Amino acid sequence: MRKFMGGAGAAAAVALVAAATVARAEDYPARDISVVVVWAAGGGTDTVNRLIAAEMQQHLPARINVVNRTGGVGGSAGMSFVYGQPADGYTLAGISESNVTAGVQGGWDQRFEVWQPFIVGGSPDLVSVSANAPYQTLKELIEAAKAKPGEIRVGASAAGSIHHLNLLALEKGTGAKFNYIPYDGSAPAQNAAVSGEVAVVVTSLAEQQQLIRAKRLRPLAMLTPNAVSVEGIGDVPSAFADFPDLKEHLPIQQAIGFAVRADAPDAVKKTLTDAFDKAVQSDKVKGWAAQNFYEISGKSGEAAREEFQRLEGLFAWTLHELGAATVSPEKLGIPKPAK
Amino acid sequence: MLMTVLDQFGAFAGALAGLLSQPVSWLLLIGASLLGITFGALPGLTATLGVGLLATLTYSLDLNMALIALIAMYVGAVYGGSYSAILLNIPGTAASAASAMDGYPMAQRGEAGRVLGLTTTASFVGTVVGMLALVVVAPLILELALQFTSYEFFLLALFGIIISGTLQSSDLVIKGWIAGFLGLALSTVGRDGLMFFPRFTFGVPELDSGIEVVPVLIGAFAIPQIIHGLREGDGAVRLQAVGRILPDIRTMLRNLKHVIRSAMIGVGIGAVPGVGEDIAGWVSYGTAKASSPNPENFGKGEPAGLISSETANNACIGGALIPLVTLGIPGSPPAVMLLGALMLHGLTPGPMLSIEQPNFLVELAAIMVLASLAMWINGMLLARQVVKLLRIPPSLFLPVVAILSVLGSYALGLSTFNLYLMFAVGLAAYFLTRMHYPISALVIGVILGPMADENLRRALMVGQGDLTPFVTRPLSLILVLAITLIVLSQLPAYRRWRARALQRLRTAGAGGDGA
Repeated sequence: MRKFMGGAGAAAAVALVAAATVARAEDYPARDISVVVVWAAGGGTDTVNRLIAAEMQQHLPARINVVNRTGGVGGSAGMSFVYGQPADGYTLAGISESNVTAGVQGGWDQRFEVWQPFIVGGSPDLVSVSANAPYQTLKELIEAAKAKPGEIRVGASAAGSIHHLNLLALEKGTGAKFNYIPYDGSAPAQNAAVSGEVAVVVTSLAEQQQLIRAKRLRPLAMLTPNAVSVEGIGDVPSAFADFPDLKEHLPIQQAIGFAVRADAPDAVKKTLTDAFDKAVQSDKVKGWAAQNFYEISGKSGEAAREEFQRLEGLFAWTLHELGAATVSPEKLGIPKPAK
Repeated sequence: MLMTVLDQFGAFAGALAGLLSQPVSWLLLIGASLLGITFGALPGLTATLGVGLLATLTYSLDLNMALIALIAMYVGAVYGGSYSAILLNIPGTAASAASAMDGYPMAQRGEAGRVLGLTTTASFVGTVVGMLALVVVAPLILELALQFTSYEFFLLALFGIIISGTLQSSDLVIKGWIAGFLGLALSTVGRDGLMFFPRFTFGVPELDSGIEVVPVLIGAFAIPQIIHGLREGDGAVRLQAVGRILPDIRTMLRNLKHVIRSAMIGVGIGAVPGVGEDIAGWVSYGTAKASSPNPENFGKGEPAGLISSETANNACIGGALIPLVTLGIPGSPPAVMLLGALMLHGLTPGPMLSIEQPNFLVELAAIMVLASLAMWINGMLLARQVVKLLRIPPSLFLPVVAILSVLGSYALGLSTFNLYLMFAVGLAAYFLTRMHYPISALVIGVILGPMADENLRRALMVGQGDLTPFVTRPLSLILVLAITLIVLSQLPAYRRWRARALQRLRTAGAGGDGA
C-alpha cells in the first residue's frame, strides 16, 4: 500500500513538473536565470557575460546570476554541466570561440550545433612589433620575412589558439614565413615582445592597448577589414589594404557571448533574443566596448549559428593538422573549411 | 626632488585620512583581513581564490572600498598560510611552505607564541617595504623585471626546485633533488602549454587539464601529518607552554640584515611577471641559509629562517603590483585576479593610469598600509586564540583537519578526481617522508614544472637550438652560476675545502684580534 502511494505520489510529481514545464515556456522567465561561464572569473568571457547579464535583466522580469565552472577540455566541464540541465532556458552557458575545440580535443562527443549562441562581440586581432624593431609598416615586415623565411620571431598564445590561427592566416595571405614562438596566453607573448625575445606579436587590441599607448609596442596593422583609431597613437590601418589576398583567410574574430541549448522552446529563444538585442544596443555596453576596444557583433539566431559553424571548422581542422586533436574532425562530422 | 617627495607624502596622508574618515572602510578592512587570514590558514583556499571571490562580491561597492577589501584579503591570505605551517606543519598555501621549516620546530619547542608574533611582525614589515618599493622605485624595478626572457624564467624555475631540494634534505641532498624532479615529472601530465599536445593523459579526460597544485599541496602535507598523528596517538604529543605572544621587536632588529635582504628579494621576485609568493619564500629562505654563519641551525628552529621567508612572501605583494600598475601586467597569480577586479570597475591598470588617475598609486599605497596594519592587529589578537589549537588532543583535532583537507581539494573544481589525486599523492608522500625525502621539494616541482618545461623549450625555439644565450645574457649567467654553486656546494670535496678555509679564516681572525 505504502509502495503504491509512493508510486502515485511520484506520478503526480512528474505530472506537476510536466505541467510546470509547459507553463514555463509561455511565461519564461518565471524564476532567476543562471549563466554558467565556462572560463575563469576575471577573464574576457567572464567580464562580457557579467556586463551583458546586468543589462539583459533590466528587460526581463527575473534576475540573471553569473557563476563560473571551469575545467575539462576546451571548457567541456561547464558545457557538459549546462547541457545536462533541462532545455528550458534557465541555465545558459557563458562561452567564447575557443569552446568549439572541445569536441576534437575529446572533452565531449557533441558538435557545437547543440547550442544556440548569442554573440556579444570580441576584440579584433592586430600585428604589432617591439618599440625598437626596424619595421615601420606591415609591408616592411612582410618583405623582411620573405627575404629571410622562418627567421623573424613572432609571439602568440599556444598552438591552435585564436591568435595562432590569425598568424597562420597572415602567413597564407601574404606568402611570408615566420618563426612562431608559442606562449601560455596573450600576456606573456606581449611581455616577450616588450623584452625583445620576439620581434612581432599577434594578440587582440584589448590586450595590447596599454602597451601600445605606453609606446612599448608599435601597432602595424589590424587583421580585420577596418582601420581602428587609438587615442594618442593615431590610426592603425587594416592589413587588407596592402594585402588584399588576406580577405580569403581573415577575419578570424573572437566570438564572446552565451548560449542556450538549441532544443530549447522557440518562445524561450525569442524572449532571450529580445532582451539580448536591447542589451547590446544599450549605452552601457557600447561605452564599455569603445573603452576596451571591443567590437560589438550582436549576432543571434541563424547568423550566430553560422559564425560558430565556420569557427568550429577552422579551429577543428587546424588542430587536426597540427596533430593536437585527439578526435578526428571527420569522425565528428565537421566539414573541412573551403580554404 | 625633495619637493615631489613631500608632495607625495602630503597626498598620501590625505588619502589615508580620507579612507579612515569612513566607518564602513574600517569594517571592510578588518573583515576582509580576517577572511584573508582564514583563507590563508585553511589548506586548499589560496590568496588567488580569495581575491577572485571577493572581486565579484565587491562589484557593487565603489572602487576605493573594493580595493580596501581586495588588498586586505590579499595581504591577510599570504600571511595566514603561516598559521597552519607553524602550528601543524601543514602550510595553508604554497607561499608559507618555507615558513614551516623553522616555524614548526620552534612551536614544538614551546615557543608557539613567540613564533606567531615574529611571523606577524615580519609579514607586516614585508608588506610595508613592498609598498615603499611600489611608490618609490617602481620604474627601476620594472626595467629589471622586463629583462626576464624564456632563458631567465627557465633558470629561475630550476633554481627554485634545486634550492628547495637542497634546503630540506635531512640526510642526503640528492633525496631533495629526487623529490623535486618527481614533482617536475608530475607537472608534465596534461596538455603542454606550447603546442597543446596531450602528454601522459592515457585518454583520461580528467588528466587533460593537468595535475592541479592544490590537491597535491594538501595531499603532500596534510595526509602524512594525519597518518603520523594517528600512529602516535594522544599520549605522545602536546605541549604545555606556548610562550607569550609578543611582537618580539628585539629578535627582528637582531636579524635586520635578513629582514632587509628578504624584503628586497620579495619585491624583486614579485615584480617578475607570473612568479609569486611561493618562490619568493623559498629563494629568500635559501639565501638566508647560504649567507648565515651557522647554516646547520636552519630547519631546526632558527628564527632567521622564519623571518626571511615571511618577510619575503609579504614583500612580494608590493612587488607584484609594480608591473600591474605601471604596465597592466600582473606580477603574481593573485595579482591576475586583482587586475580582473579593477577592470570590472572600469579601471584599466597600465601606463595611462598615472595620467587618467594621478592619485591612484598614492591611494593604493595608503590602502596597503592600512591592510598591513589590520593584518598585524588581527594577527596579534588571533594568535592568542589560535595557539590553543595545540592543546586539543589529536584524536579530536586530526579528523577535523582531515575533513578540511577533503573539502579544500574538492572545493576547487568541484571534481571528485581531485579527491582521488589528493589521497594518492598523500599516501605516496607519507612513504616518501618516512624515507626522509623532503616533500615540499616535490610540491615546488609541481608548481614550477610548467614554467621550467615551457620556457626551456621556448628558449630553444627562440635560439633555434642554440644554448649559448644561457651564458651570454648577464642575468642568465648569474642564475647559471648560482645553480652551479649550489650543486657544487653539496659535493663532499667542496664541503671539506670550505671547512678548511673557514678554519684558516677563524684562526687568522683570532690572531688579528689578539694583536
